[in-house]
Amino acid sequence: MEGLIPRIAITSLGKTWQGRRGDVEALRDINLAIGPGEFVAVVGPSGCGKSTLLSVVAGFATPTSGKVLVDGLSVDGPSPERGVMFQDYALFPWRTVADNIGFGPLARGVKRAERLEITQRLVALVGLDGFQDRYPHELSGGMRQRCALARMLANDPAVWLMDEPLAALDPQTRIVMQDELLRIWGDERPADQRRAVLFVTHGIDEAVHLSDRVVVLARRPGRVRAVIEVDLPRPRSALRSSPEAARLVAEIWALIRDEAVDAIREENG
Amino acid sequence: MRARLPQRVLPPLGFALIVLGSWYGVARHLANPQLLPSPWTVGVALVDLLGNGDMVDDILASLGHLGLGYGIGAGIGLIMAALCARFAALETAIDPLVELLRPIGAIAWIPFAILMFGVGSTVPVFLISYGAAFPIFVATLAGMHGVDRALLAAGQALGASKRMLITHVVFPAALPHVLAGARLSLGVAWAAMVAAELTGSDSGLGWRLFWYQEFFRMDRVMAVIVVIGVLGVAADALLRALRQAVVGWSPEDSNAA
Ligand SMILES: Nc1ncnc2c1ncn2[C@@H]1O[C@H](COP(=O)(O)OP(=O)(O)OP(=O)(O)O)[C@@H](O)[C@H]1O
Ligand SMILES: [Mg+2]
Repeated sequence: MEGLIPRIAITSLGKTWQGRRGDVEALRDINLAIGPGEFVAVVGPSGCGKSTLLSVVAGFATPTSGKVLVDGLSVDGPSPERGVMFQDYALFPWRTVADNIGFGPLARGVKRAERLEITQRLVALVGLDGFQDRYPHELSGGMRQRCALARMLANDPAVWLMDEPLAALDPQTRIVMQDELLRIWGDERPADQRRAVLFVTHGIDEAVHLSDRVVVLARRPGRVRAVIEVDLPRPRSALRSSPEAARLVAEIWALIRDEAVDAIREENG
Repeated sequence: MRARLPQRVLPPLGFALIVLGSWYGVARHLANPQLLPSPWTVGVALVDLLGNGDMVDDILASLGHLGLGYGIGAGIGLIMAALCARFAALETAIDPLVELLRPIGAIAWIPFAILMFGVGSTVPVFLISYGAAFPIFVATLAGMHGVDRALLAAGQALGASKRMLITHVVFPAALPHVLAGARLSLGVAWAAMVAAELTGSDSGLGWRLFWYQEFFRMDRVMAVIVVIGVLGVAADALLRALRQAVVGWSPEDSNAA
């Protein structure tokens, strides 16, 4: 992304959590720039600080050292300019699909008529027609996921921050949603019509399928171990099992494998 | 899972018939009919009392006590809980007192209330308020504290102000707990009402129980008890219907109360 002003600029970022059982250094010296319209995936073993990274960029947590700039401004707290999608969706259970989607515009003071218009457009975009008036507990996992995506999009944020948004889906729905996500992001459109995405996932093949770059984190403390360029042409949906993608997946897995095994051993005591 | 209608209705109906039948049998053949009137005699007394208007006055008096006392008590519980949720220092300050007063229960205060206010409507109203305040306070506070942090984070990330987070996230998230607490409060209030009227009031169903006791009218005593039970169930059903109407969004088993 040289030459372009990055949308997200992370410099020498460190984050230490203060817990009851001592401090945990979750992130150390993270440097990362994400251009407007760039899709960046973050992978790494469990506990390497992926969620921490996302919550610092979202503004839920403050950096211990270093800084995070979005559009040149230092992040201080959450903002509707940075949309967040949570792993378990965090939909408001007392709001219908339409009212969940309309929450962001409501918070920003958008007038009722325009809110309605935004909601209807997004309901159609994510394929929830006919389900506007359902409550979240009346939806399938895939539909909840669509609803959460639409809710985030309703503010048209410049940055999408997504923490394992597809992890709770069954494998088939997940594959469908990966391609849906790409379509909505603008996989088929020119790059300048896309948003910047920071996408945390445990799925290496998912990371390769979706992103322009894969950031591989190492753990204890979380550091950038490698950044892998994914030079596959877009749109990607036809490319699901190309040899090139398989080679990248293998390369990334080789970087993570030993640490992933360690992480599992530690978690099991 | 909701069983089909006959399965839901037949067993309770059958059991009620067994109880009534045993009652009838015991009353007819074993007990002193003065002491244990048969269901039939109680039914006649009930119709009689409803017919001559006395019962209606008693019911209205009791509902008046209940409405006022419950309104005051539940209102105080609700407001205090909201204040405690907003100002942590207040919660720290009043928590020991609440924990001390809560287990005492309204009935223990009856002698105090009679000496303080004299026999009359103030005694039941005071005690109903006292009893109703605690369950809704505790439930509401727990509900407000227990709001899923992810929902607050989601609200913030969508641009909600602090004020909107409270009105549009914290309040609705706590609402099922508030309504569950309201139901518990009503149960306590109902019991406090009967007990307080029994000894500290000059009107109401509880007072009427005492009155018929003095005249040794067991049939009427039991008729009043039946009315107290039926009205209690009706009041509870009203709150349940309210809950269903207000928090119908909530999956049934997640806030079963
Ligand atoms: N709020 C917090 N308070 C204290 N420690 C935390 C907090 N959040 C995370 N941590 C710690 O920071 C480290 C990194 O956690 P984080 O959740 O960022 O990892 P992750 O890569 O997202 O893991 P996973 O893949 O399991 O989701 C862990 O050791 C974790 O215990
Ligand atoms: Mg995580």
